[in-house]
Amino acid sequence: MRIAIVTPYPPSQGSLNEYAFHFIRFLRQKPEVREIFILSDRLPDDATYPAETASPPGLAPLHIVPCWRFGALDNALRIVRTARDLAPDIVLFNIQFASFGSSKPAAALGLLAPAMTRAAGIPAIVLLHNIMETVDLKSAGFGANPLVEWFIRAFGAITTRALLSADLLAVTIPRYVEILEHKYGAANVLLAPHGAFDEAPPPSFDPPPGPLQIMTFGKFGTYKKIEPLVDAFRLLSETRRDLELVIAGTDSPNAPGYLESVRLANVDLAGLRFTGYVAEEDVPRIFQDAGVVVFPYTSTTGSSGVLHQAGNYGRAVVLPRLGDLAELIAEEGYTGEFFTPENAQSLAEALARLLDDPARRRAMGTQNYLAACGLPMAEVVEWYILHAQNVLTVRNTRRAARRREFVKR
Amino acid sequence: MALNTRSIGNVGVLDLHGRFDAHMAPAVIEWYGRLPSPHVVINLTDVTFIDSSALAALAGGMKRCRQRDGDLRLCALQQPVRVIFELTRMNRAFEIFATEAEAISSFTH
Repeated sequence: MRIAIVTPYPPSQGSLNEYAFHFIRFLRQKPEVREIFILSDRLPDDATYPAETASPPGLAPLHIVPCWRFGALDNALRIVRTARDLAPDIVLFNIQFASFGSSKPAAALGLLAPAMTRAAGIPAIVLLHNIMETVDLKSAGFGANPLVEWFIRAFGAITTRALLSADLLAVTIPRYVEILEHKYGAANVLLAPHGAFDEAPPPSFDPPPGPLQIMTFGKFGTYKKIEPLVDAFRLLSETRRDLELVIAGTDSPNAPGYLESVRLANVDLAGLRFTGYVAEEDVPRIFQDAGVVVFPYTSTTGSSGVLHQAGNYGRAVVLPRLGDLAELIAEEGYTGEFFTPENAQSLAEALARLLDDPARRRAMGTQNYLAACGLPMAEVVEWYILHAQNVLTVRNTRRAARRREFVKR
Repeated sequence: MALNTRSIGNVGVLDLHGRFDAHMAPAVIEWYGRLPSPHVVINLTDVTFIDSSALAALAGGMKRCRQRDGDLRLCALQQPVRVIFELTRMNRAFEIFATEAEAISSFTH
């Protein structure tokens, strides 16, 4: 398959350049891909892209063809003309609403490129990283004037319809698929995972030797209350001496003095430690030293950033049984032990189930690590190849049917 | 999540149960490596949840089978799983059958 990809590409500073770099890094490793053309934006000051003299073995040849300029009004025309000259099997667009310009005319006219490419007879797949319907125009400074907001929304809807003229339009968030299907009646939208760039080695799923640490991380005092956790730790300490409770973080700005008041009320409790503010460079160590990470929340609106961090470091977690939190985190692939909110006994039992079972902690840490990693980019690229093959198969089947029809007549 | 394997004629059948996610995907990928035949049916009757890692594992398996002139076909998708296939349009990439018997007989017809 010969593939052209319309995208900013490093050293271009255009948005999505980094995504393109990683996407193409993996795409060119696939045996189905024979050649890649990057239809990139022109660099400022007539700078040139580094040329690749020979492709490394096992990688598809890569050609960078700068053919459009951020902010220009004729980008769609230039892209289609270049695509026709190169005659790839398929064109992928790695774009968002402002990929082709910061002014509304340049941005909108550039977004006609997928429809024009398809009209020129070349299959087109769009990976659209955002949609107009979810842009907060008020935050963007357009909310003061309802007429301006209406105009921008209408303009966005027309542009979205143009983008939907591509053979396929991929988005990375399920809600985007729903919006595009319901509002536009689209039947060619699909969900594709964003993909993870990093290939960092997995963490150790076991805590270091020494006292087993129960850790909680965050800004405390409002909906993150540590009293039940301290009480649970007190209960566990009655039978075990190998534990440490680490409260990592500070007071919430809305609850000054909260942690100090808890500390003063528990000065007799051996193994209770307050770290205070945790600097960015110390975050990995704080998580890696923990045997279990606890979320002593009294309310929540969904999975938290701390859960993602705990997953990154391959940690087992203990969470409150609040609303549909269990289902929400399960949908994201995470797992945890659950306790009744603000109930020290229930929390102590949940902690004991993990503390007493290293194999379970390890399994839970592994699952959370995999959930935090997301799908590797190498796999995401496979999905696009599959979809591209399907588009080409459907086209070829239709073409063959038309030919048969013509011969019959 | 549980994984049972069977052979019916020259078709390898994999029964999966429960959640098919990043945790289970490596075991399925490992199973592909032991396949004597490139004709595979994966029975998803008892799968209640599927995530992107699982879809990637299925896509990878399909590719492996097709490279050996076989195929990986799916059967008996339950509603929550079917929704994920439709959302990702992976229902267009795989051959999907209502029953295991239909999926197996598709290799001989």
